[in-house]
Amino acid sequence: MYLGLLLALPLAAGTVRIIQTNSAGDDVSIIDPATNKVVGTITGIEVNHGAAVAPDGSRYYISNEGRSTLDVVDRKTLAVTRSIPLSGHPNNIAISKDGSRVYVSIAVAPGAVDVIDTASLEDVKSIPVKGAVHNTYVTPDGKYVVSGSIQGKTITVIDQKTETPVWVLEMDRGIRPMAFLTNPDGSTKWIFVQLSAINGFAVVDFATHKEINRIKLPSLAPGKSPYLYGGNESHGMAVTSDEKTLVVNSRLNSAIYFYSLPDLKVLGSTEVGHSPDWVTLTPDGKRAYVANAASNSVSVVDVASMKEITRIPVGEVPKRNITAVLP
Amino acid sequence: MMLVRLAHLWKTRKTERVANQFLARSLVRAAPFALLALITSMTHLAVAQSLDYETYKKTVEPIFAKKRVGHARCVACHSASNNAFRLQPLAEGGSWTEEQSRRNFESVSILVNKANPKASLLLKHPLAHEAGGDEFHSGGRQFLSKDDPDWKAIALWAGVTE
Repeated sequence: MYLGLLLALPLAAGTVRIIQTNSAGDDVSIIDPATNKVVGTITGIEVNHGAAVAPDGSRYYISNEGRSTLDVVDRKTLAVTRSIPLSGHPNNIAISKDGSRVYVSIAVAPGAVDVIDTASLEDVKSIPVKGAVHNTYVTPDGKYVVSGSIQGKTITVIDQKTETPVWVLEMDRGIRPMAFLTNPDGSTKWIFVQLSAINGFAVVDFATHKEINRIKLPSLAPGKSPYLYGGNESHGMAVTSDEKTLVVNSRLNSAIYFYSLPDLKVLGSTEVGHSPDWVTLTPDGKRAYVANAASNSVSVVDVASMKEITRIPVGEVPKRNITAVLP
Repeated sequence: MMLVRLAHLWKTRKTERVANQFLARSLVRAAPFALLALITSMTHLAVAQSLDYETYKKTVEPIFAKKRVGHARCVACHSASNNAFRLQPLAEGGSWTEEQSRRNFESVSILVNKANPKASLLLKHPLAHEAGGDEFHSGGRQFLSKDDPDWKAIALWAGVTE
């Protein structure tokens, strides 16, 4: 609820953009969800991976796998104004709620989360964690930074203020994307965790640090063929701002599934392009933007009707995407 | 007695002559097949040996560092990856050293199917699926068709003759 209010407020006063990285390209596509058209392109960032937006809307931050840098992009000109060297090859990124820190997953052993100070634009700290880091998040209340490692099979929860790990959960499989459900007071209730070679997700209770559920996505209908290329079976999740629906990608099924929250019942599904890799939602939670890595497109899905509205052509192998609310 | 010996000699020589004629005729008949077999085996040998380093360095390796609009360069991914195709890191604006090029050549050669060059991973993986390439390449559709001059250059080096 807290997250929903937080996102709804700037929506009323600002502009919304979907920032779609293209992992095999040198450009980032910017989509206007009002028209579902690409209205801008950031160029010159090869193998771009994660994206974040400054809360004041002045900058985008994009991880650059080609040069192992965090690239700072002026939001108005879309020019890269600074490339910050990282401690290693990056993957996904996250930004603190106040915008003062960007956390960068370092996807090489022994594993770390780099901390970028956005005032000095310098890599000021590298927090060691177990295993190369694939994705890093900031919890909806902003109090924790959460990183996941495929090789280390661990989730590391880091105190945002002290920037030190406070607990670690070891799981039986590699940690893929995560999403968060909150308590009424805004604190984190559950972490939804996608795992290597599982077409589904696990549920981790944030308070007890234990896995409490594991959900397997529905099988394909008879006559449908699985798509066996492009990475993990299930990759990409998001929770709607009203916290009533969990959206889950299935690469294997070229589809997304909708689960009710908190009871986790399947509400339905819809087909999207091949290899859905990531999903982001509009601040009102009404539309899902699904990056189809093998189709070079983004599916726009109406959450209430669970239907694909349109498919937007983007760059080469689109993967991570975010929703940017610009004041 | 003399007549008997002369008769035997004539018969023997006639047998030899017949045998020689038969051998000659057989050789003439078999020659095209033998030649074909020889050419085929030589072609395979040539293909195996045709992964010429100098040609690679001049015509193929630059493609891996070439910038295509909308695409990441091959080297941008493959110098950091742990997959079968591994290129040596390339400094921005720089070029590979001789030693690095030799290493690249070794890595790239493994991706060539010498018995059937057209089926080479090096050719199929970056080619758009719609053009006959693999279903998915995490590095994208680097070549939209087999008419792409760079794809052709790699194919020629790999031994594709059509």
